[in-house]
Amino acid sequence: MSASTSTLLIPLHAKYVQSLGESKDDLMYHLTAHLRMNAIYWGLTALCTMNHKDALNREEMIEFVMSCWDDEAGGGFGAHPDHDAHIHSTLSAIQILIMQDALDRVDVDRVVKFILSLQQPSGVFAGDQWGEIDTRFLYCAVNALSLLGRLHELDVEKTVGYVRQCRNFDGGFGAVAGAESHAAMVFVCTATLAILDRLDEIDQEMLGWWLAERQVPSGGLNGRPEKLEDVCYSFWVLSAMAILKKVPWIDSDKLIAFILSAQDTDHGGIADRPGNQADVFHTHFGIAGLSLLGYPGLADLDPVYCMPARVIERMGLRKGWEGLPRKAS
Amino acid sequence: MSAESEDVPLYAERPEWSDVVPVPQYQGVDALAPINYSAEYQDATDYFRGIIRMGETSPRVLKLTRDIINMNPAHYSAWQYRYKTLIAIGADLTEELRQMDDFALTNMKTYQVWHHRRLLLTALRSRDAAAGELAFTARVLAADAKNYHTWSYRQWLLAHFNDEERLWAGERAWVEDLLEKDVRNNSAWHHRFFVVWSSGVREGDEDREAVGRRELAFAKEKIALAPNNPSAWNYLRGVLEHTKTPLSALTTFVQLYTVSSPSIAPEVMDLDNPVPTEGAQLPCVNALEFQADIYEQEGGTQITKAVEIWKSLANEYDTMRKKYWEYRIKEGLQTTHT
Ligand SMILES: [Zn+2]
Repeated sequence: MSASTSTLLIPLHAKYVQSLGESKDDLMYHLTAHLRMNAIYWGLTALCTMNHKDALNREEMIEFVMSCWDDEAGGGFGAHPDHDAHIHSTLSAIQILIMQDALDRVDVDRVVKFILSLQQPSGVFAGDQWGEIDTRFLYCAVNALSLLGRLHELDVEKTVGYVRQCRNFDGGFGAVAGAESHAAMVFVCTATLAILDRLDEIDQEMLGWWLAERQVPSGGLNGRPEKLEDVCYSFWVLSAMAILKKVPWIDSDKLIAFILSAQDTDHGGIADRPGNQADVFHTHFGIAGLSLLGYPGLADLDPVYCMPARVIERMGLRKGWEGLPRKAS
Repeated sequence: MSAESEDVPLYAERPEWSDVVPVPQYQGVDALAPINYSAEYQDATDYFRGIIRMGETSPRVLKLTRDIINMNPAHYSAWQYRYKTLIAIGADLTEELRQMDDFALTNMKTYQVWHHRRLLLTALRSRDAAAGELAFTARVLAADAKNYHTWSYRQWLLAHFNDEERLWAGERAWVEDLLEKDVRNNSAWHHRFFVVWSSGVREGDEDREAVGRRELAFAKEKIALAPNNPSAWNYLRGVLEHTKTPLSALTTFVQLYTVSSPSIAPEVMDLDNPVPTEGAQLPCVNALEFQADIYEQEGGTQITKAVEIWKSLANEYDTMRKKYWEYRIKEGLQTTHT
């Protein structure tokens, strides 16, 4: 018998995240090796938001993270032990170690050097030595440098200059200069500017409206006009709105109902939309969205760093964002 | 997963690979230790790690990386090493592009596919190749007209090679064609803005005032076709903003879309103000918003009219964003009092 989708099934989702580390004999597990580090970060953050941090073994996790250290690349983390260092997995590694209070395991100087080596003359960051560039990698770099307390080593003007180039006539931001506005890129650009205390670069009213327009009649949010709604946009759109303090502009009850309806009530986890297969990515971003909407029983999630608010506050990094007030259950 | 079936031997069984020592996948941490997936995938990636360890760049590496990419299109180390090998052995890069065409079509959502082509084009430095790529991306976009990576790649090609005659010349007509097929395609609207306004002045577009008039007429015509289309309204506003034209210049047009029932088509067609297509759902939210913005900009007593519209949006036409409209009402009233 399935549970109903009218509430968030916290114990079931905690069990789901916990079980992910156990089913390694299927092909999907190996095809997603390039996201392994990120997957652990998504799982851990989801558990922290649900107040079930201890569902995953701390020592094993730290050991895995450290086994992904890529000494040859000069000081970053790969997604998996035999993968090359990448800025996305490096950020995830740092976030995990901070959440587990184990940052002392890392040679911070070398990580900083690795990150800074990826900045391009235009100001954007590459993901790795191969050279894929976009604003997501730029956000990874700025976020990581801030968490490591080394933002002062970044060329801020050059970085902000690239973000400015990605701004479009509709008020949104794209992945690279010239590209269409997209909610995920709006998030990374907005969060980057928040970390750099440069939100004055944004026409906040106009961008807030573009974000509010992402809500469709089902209650869910899409990433671009005329595209399908998807649970992960509950984070990309909402976090940007929280940074701009505009979350109240959309219908939160309808969005909560949409996210809850995408839960797998038998095995746990949340899918991109109702009826689809759950995965850890959408589970994390669905729960993150619910946290920003003040859903009862969840911990506060910092939308700028996408980490537990408590952790960010303790580090003295909190920016002036606002979600909806936490509801009593 | 792999296209070839069981009759293809594993790398471990091929004599021509016997000089490579396969490196098994890391299995250090127990709780996270894998195995039991496709034997082909494991075999190929073991030999790939062996090749990396040797630092070999040779034609057989191209076969190996292609096998891995076929099984796992997102394997970025395989892509990276493949590119390095192509350059090292002086391979024919145009041939590589053709080899990858079908693969790119079936794996268009994979970022690496497009980054690989971008690296190849950068190395080729050929406008012929760039023109060929425009044709290729057109094929891909015909299959999925909103594919983000393909669009960014096309925009990169145009800006990077920046050839007016060979690349830019057909661009506006091509994107117009896409909008003809789907007037709600936001990617195509964005691209039109990119071509006309934000990447230099196209040949024949030197008279910017004329271009502004042409683009407003274009957007209005598309709005008439499908009034509830935020992409077209955004474009319209984008043009006004870019050409520093006040919103009020479009009052007559907008009012055709703020009424609940369509006005009877005038006997003489007003080309500047096309009427909504028959059966369109009116009033149109974007038009109401536009009209309220006009009133707000005019200020003074006009604010009352703006507030009326915002109230109707909050309570009737766009209730999902009620809080937003209430915010506009509050802000609007505050400016009149200060
Ligand atoms: Zn999604």
